[in-house]
Amino acid sequence: MFRLLEESGFARVRSAVVPGFRFRKQSTQNSAEAYGVKAVMMTAEKPGG
Amino acid sequence: MPDVTASTSDLLETQASLEAVLKDEILTMYQEVADNPDAEFHFFHGRAAADLFGYPSEWLDRAPEGAVNSFAGVGNPLLRAAIREGETVLDLGSGAGLDGIIASWQTGPTGSVIGVDLNPAMCLRAQAHAAATGTKIECHEGRMEDIPVPDGSVDVVISNGVVNLSFRKRRVVQEMHRVLRPGGRISITDIVSAKQLSQSIVNDPKLWAS
Repeated sequence: MFRLLEESGFARVRSAVVPGFRFRKQSTQNSAEAYGVKAVMMTAEKPGG
Repeated sequence: MPDVTASTSDLLETQASLEAVLKDEILTMYQEVADNPDAEFHFFHGRAAADLFGYPSEWLDRAPEGAVNSFAGVGNPLLRAAIREGETVLDLGSGAGLDGIIASWQTGPTGSVIGVDLNPAMCLRAQAHAAATGTKIECHEGRMEDIPVPDGSVDVVISNGVVNLSFRKRRVVQEMHRVLRPGGRISITDIVSAKQLSQSIVNDPKLWAS
């Protein structure tokens, strides 16, 4: 996503992990961890203005 | 020599077919959350999720119960959106309206909030929830890959756990860029994966929708 934002013309792209995010079901959480799945916050700006 | 035209055509056909199935799965999944907020899902939802992601209790106490109970986000995009009075905000995948309602409190009557959701029933619900708090969301049925909003008309795009549902994320990002005015910004929360998902997951719309 970070790269997609930059390639699409966004500037000042920032990201941070959402603290405390987890899946409710442990089995889903385990699968998510195996794939490195996480929730992130992203901000970016459209240049100009 | 392999028939590249045929294989590309097959690929596009397969993707279109998966997208159609995925749309149905997304509609079913999030309608279920809205209709049965007491049910259990593999993700946290409702007030428990909003508390987990740091939504201030004064926001949640003020918002309509239906909007809070149907909340199915993965974070709080409003924390870093820095929405100002008078701004136009687009909530992509507005659902039952919680984020949009909070945004409308921040824009005030001189600003506006536009919701876009795949599900027209959720649009109606978001608008009703907003009206119940004395504010307004103008919600349009639509897809994030073709946002039904004019070029350069929005100051801020927010979304919460929505972009990851698309097969065409590059297109979604390009659309967000298109609707923003120069100097506009996005604040989104979403799910990302550090590893390539297995083909069995990619080809399973039920897993993708969740």
